[in-house]
Amino acid sequence: MLRSLTTWVLVGQRLGIALITLVIVSFAVFFATEMLPGDVAEILLGQAATPEAVAGLREAMGLNEPAFSRFLGWLGGLATGDMGRSYVNDIEVVDLLGRRLGNSLRLAAVVTMICVPFALTCGIAAAMWQGSLLDRAVSILTISVISVPEFMVATLAVLIFAVWLGWLPALSYGADATSFVALIKAYAMPVITLTCVVSAQMIRMTRAAVIETINTPYVEMALLKGASRRRMVLRHALPNALGPIANAVALSLSYLVGGVIIVETVFNYPGVAKLMVDAVATRDLPLIQSCAMVFCVSYLSLITLADVIATLSNPRLRQ
Amino acid sequence: MIDHHDTPRGLRLPRFGYAFNMTGRIGLAVILFWAVIAIIAPLITPYPPGEIVDWDYFGPVSKSYWMGTDYLGRDILSRVLMGARYTVGISLAGVTLACAGGIVFGMVAAVIGGWFDTILSRLLDAFNGIPSLLFGLVVVAAVGSSIPVLILTLAAIYLPGSYRFARALAVNVNTMDFVTVARARGEKTGYLIRAEILPNILGPVLADLGLRFVFIVLVLSGLSFLGIGVQPPHADWGGLVRENIEGLSLGAPAVIFPCIAIASLTISVNMFIDNLPKKIRDRSQ
Amino acid sequence: MSNKKPTNWTGRDDARVENAIRRGASRRDLLKMLAASGVAVGAGSSLLMSASRAVANTPVFGGHMKAAGWSSSTADTLDPAKASLSTDYVRCCAIYNRLTFLDEFGQVQMELADSIESADAKTWTVKLKSGVTFHDGKPFTAADVVFSLNRHLDPAVGSKVNSIAKQMAAIKAVDDLTVEIELEESNADLPTILSLHHFMIVADGTTDFSKGIGTGAFMMETFEPGVKSIAVKNPNYFKDGPYLDSFEYFAITDNNARVNAVLSGDIDMAASIKGRSRRMLEGQDQVYSSVTSSGNYTNLNIRLDMEPGAKEGFIEGMKYLINREAIEKSVLRGMATVGNDQPVSAANRYHNSELAPKAYDPEKAKALFEKSGLLGQTVPIVASDAATASVDMATVVQQAGAKIGMNFDVQRVPSDGYWSKYWLKAPIHFGNINPRPTPDILFSLLYTQDAKWNESQFKSEKFDKMLIEARGALNEDLRKDIYWDMQEMIANQAGTVIPAYLSNVDALSTKVKGLRPNPLGGQMGYAFAEYVWLDA
Repeated sequence: MLRSLTTWVLVGQRLGIALITLVIVSFAVFFATEMLPGDVAEILLGQAATPEAVAGLREAMGLNEPAFSRFLGWLGGLATGDMGRSYVNDIEVVDLLGRRLGNSLRLAAVVTMICVPFALTCGIAAAMWQGSLLDRAVSILTISVISVPEFMVATLAVLIFAVWLGWLPALSYGADATSFVALIKAYAMPVITLTCVVSAQMIRMTRAAVIETINTPYVEMALLKGASRRRMVLRHALPNALGPIANAVALSLSYLVGGVIIVETVFNYPGVAKLMVDAVATRDLPLIQSCAMVFCVSYLSLITLADVIATLSNPRLRQ
Repeated sequence: MIDHHDTPRGLRLPRFGYAFNMTGRIGLAVILFWAVIAIIAPLITPYPPGEIVDWDYFGPVSKSYWMGTDYLGRDILSRVLMGARYTVGISLAGVTLACAGGIVFGMVAAVIGGWFDTILSRLLDAFNGIPSLLFGLVVVAAVGSSIPVLILTLAAIYLPGSYRFARALAVNVNTMDFVTVARARGEKTGYLIRAEILPNILGPVLADLGLRFVFIVLVLSGLSFLGIGVQPPHADWGGLVRENIEGLSLGAPAVIFPCIAIASLTISVNMFIDNLPKKIRDRSQ
Repeated sequence: MSNKKPTNWTGRDDARVENAIRRGASRRDLLKMLAASGVAVGAGSSLLMSASRAVANTPVFGGHMKAAGWSSSTADTLDPAKASLSTDYVRCCAIYNRLTFLDEFGQVQMELADSIESADAKTWTVKLKSGVTFHDGKPFTAADVVFSLNRHLDPAVGSKVNSIAKQMAAIKAVDDLTVEIELEESNADLPTILSLHHFMIVADGTTDFSKGIGTGAFMMETFEPGVKSIAVKNPNYFKDGPYLDSFEYFAITDNNARVNAVLSGDIDMAASIKGRSRRMLEGQDQVYSSVTSSGNYTNLNIRLDMEPGAKEGFIEGMKYLINREAIEKSVLRGMATVGNDQPVSAANRYHNSELAPKAYDPEKAKALFEKSGLLGQTVPIVASDAATASVDMATVVQQAGAKIGMNFDVQRVPSDGYWSKYWLKAPIHFGNINPRPTPDILFSLLYTQDAKWNESQFKSEKFDKMLIEARGALNEDLRKDIYWDMQEMIANQAGTVIPAYLSNVDALSTKVKGLRPNPLGGQMGYAFAEYVWLDA
């Protein structure tokens, strides 16, 4: 009873801290945006931005209020669940963001489902037979794969599978797919590219963390007591290595939500990373802020999850 | 770089000695090779790296142009040699700053704990929550683009990740009996960090550093597309791949050789780190 | 690719050949004509193939076309006054109409207008076509024209052509199908001005442009800013066509990805590919490219009112130092014509063809820099990916400078915010000017004393007087003479170095027929959707 109460207090604390972090990020993003040259009216007019034209457009867009008070207004709206309207096209930010976030999350989910089991298996296997041919092959392969720039992998994939072989479409419009096969085809290339980028880090971190725990005295003790190698790794070493592994996985996955701009560009996949780039380029404050909040929330939830796993897996930290 | 099998196979858990030294040495040799190239590059480039030497473009490997020509008809060999300066220099400086900062903060946070830990962790989380694109643009808008700015930007982008990783490891070690014993002995925080925590997290932290180095090399090329990369006519290796990417479908050496350069450097850095003598890594035991 | 063209071949030449074919010229006549213009016969026959391809086929109805432009963002709009990216132009051309448009030879043709006439070039009477309806069934009347043109004068609209529209002092409806436009001063170019993309006609009182209700060949079905749009055929269109049942338009920002998408057959057209990418199309039977020269240029601006441009001899030195041939051949891969430092390109009939481009002469440049006292100093040049090819052009200047002891510090800055922070402001920077149909528009936007975009701060009383004089001159020869003199003044006195006029290259699937070059820009002056068809 008492224990569950403390758990709730801890969860509450965690949420409170997350909320404060979000507010800090929001302010930081606001000041960052303010430092960029030009405002939304100037950017929209581009080369046609004469002082009168800018003043007129600002007036018409309701941007005459100081930026800071507009920002506070937006923040207030957010508290009631209203993300505001985009300055640039006057569409509800929720509508703009919703669909593209769906796309991004779908892609991220597919990559995660493939990547995490694959990476953990490779990493643990490499650690278990440390120094073996398998271990070395995995090490060299992972480093080689990530040493090749992401845009090179993506372009090469398009060239081979779309232009030369004609097996897969060069563009990925997952939403247009009419059949399951078409859906798989549409997602195949972005998923291949991202798997290359993301799994390497997970593999290496898993391997390093497992090896480190194998080297600790109590695992050695277990080994001396006659535990089998596999049993030793899975029962004793792995639980202790879970914390760092979870952290590495969380960092990689948070990249999948907002950092895949190159993949979105090359495969013309309408996700949130491109949306954020657009928003920054047009100085569209409500949209920038909303995107930043989405990235931040996904990042915070992932690392919180990682922290929870780390805490639960280490009996000493649990108390 | 394929492993050489002259290492003793019997040692399954090499704790002492220089078991994997050969691989490590090869790695070190390649790193040193590129470092030397970076220093003497202006003396050995056959052509000025910005000079258009050929009316044709994406030219093949030839006697006059050993690595072919790029999209403008410039000599790729000269550009790769000069690019070594930027890639090796900026990436090493960036990764060193990011990891050193991250590890120190991470260990301090883990050992001191409490509010200090919470505040530092949340602040860095918040920083990580700001998209790096926006961060990069703001930096350039505020201070312009130069080599020190590039290094600091890269370090700032990667510090929070490094911090989180080091802290997670240090927190684990911090709960170990020998740390508790040392603390009971009345050892100071500085000693705990130096003598008890650092040696025990060094392995994974170094593995992480190797990987971060790879990422920094690649991110550097991405920054040039925000207009904050190395200034023309020079380019880092990632930038060379990027500006010549159209040559890929033509099989141009202009895109292949910079890739090979990147791979050789990043793989050697990781080979070197993975094969550091265990005595260095486990000296506390 | 079969139609490998000689580098001095322009879209105008294409047009000339195609026109001859239409008139019924034989293959022999054509080759003779080409030989006269200095084209080798081998190249000539491949040119003919591409030209006949555009003419010889009969249109086929039906089909869905997918095309990709190069830039798109959440700022995509269906409001013609705000249109700023080529993507916007393409969509607006499909769903709206203008009063006039320019055909492939640069001649004004009537679209929604039946006639545009004036006795003094000051008061213009526009007669409108009858029986035209908007997509929602509303009939098209003079009120729509008055509303559409007046919008540009309201600063709250944020029109891109506000400065051009300002000369329309009064716009009023005489009757249901007649509009009278009164100009501040006489301007014989009004029919051409009305063919600008921004002067599309929308329905009277429109405030919500997300539906895109116009009189055009297509009706917007879905429109997601920054993602894509799908438009379907307007069954009640007042002209013949369109041939396509529907067309989908979006942007693939990465040049390489765009080319690959057309090669793999995922799209039927990739707009504006880089000159060097044409090599990827060679030997591919399923694709061809269409080249348009419309007078777009990237220029090096040296401000006359700031150091170092204010130093006598510096600007002239730069004009001799810039290696135009290297820019045309290496940077732009032949998809350009060498420029002579003035904004009226060879695609325009008022182009001063006797004004020779300054030859690359480093020694002369060196002497001029010495005279200005700047030799050996470090001079910053601001370039950005925002201005097409400017970073590479800057590198060419930098290398040439290094050889004569001038140190140019190329500063590549982010494209983001370039136009508001660096363009017009930095002492030496690059600009990028889109084609305009008349010298009058170019000069009054870029070179008069009160010009909004006076890139080098060139000020001349005499120049401004000549502009007014030419504007009112209804005599073609007199106008031409004045414009020629003005071009010479700019080339020799202004601080704008215009090394080359860029050509636009669109890559197309061979299924796409009927696409012809247009002086208003690539993709058939952005209006291809209405005119092309897909071969079955």
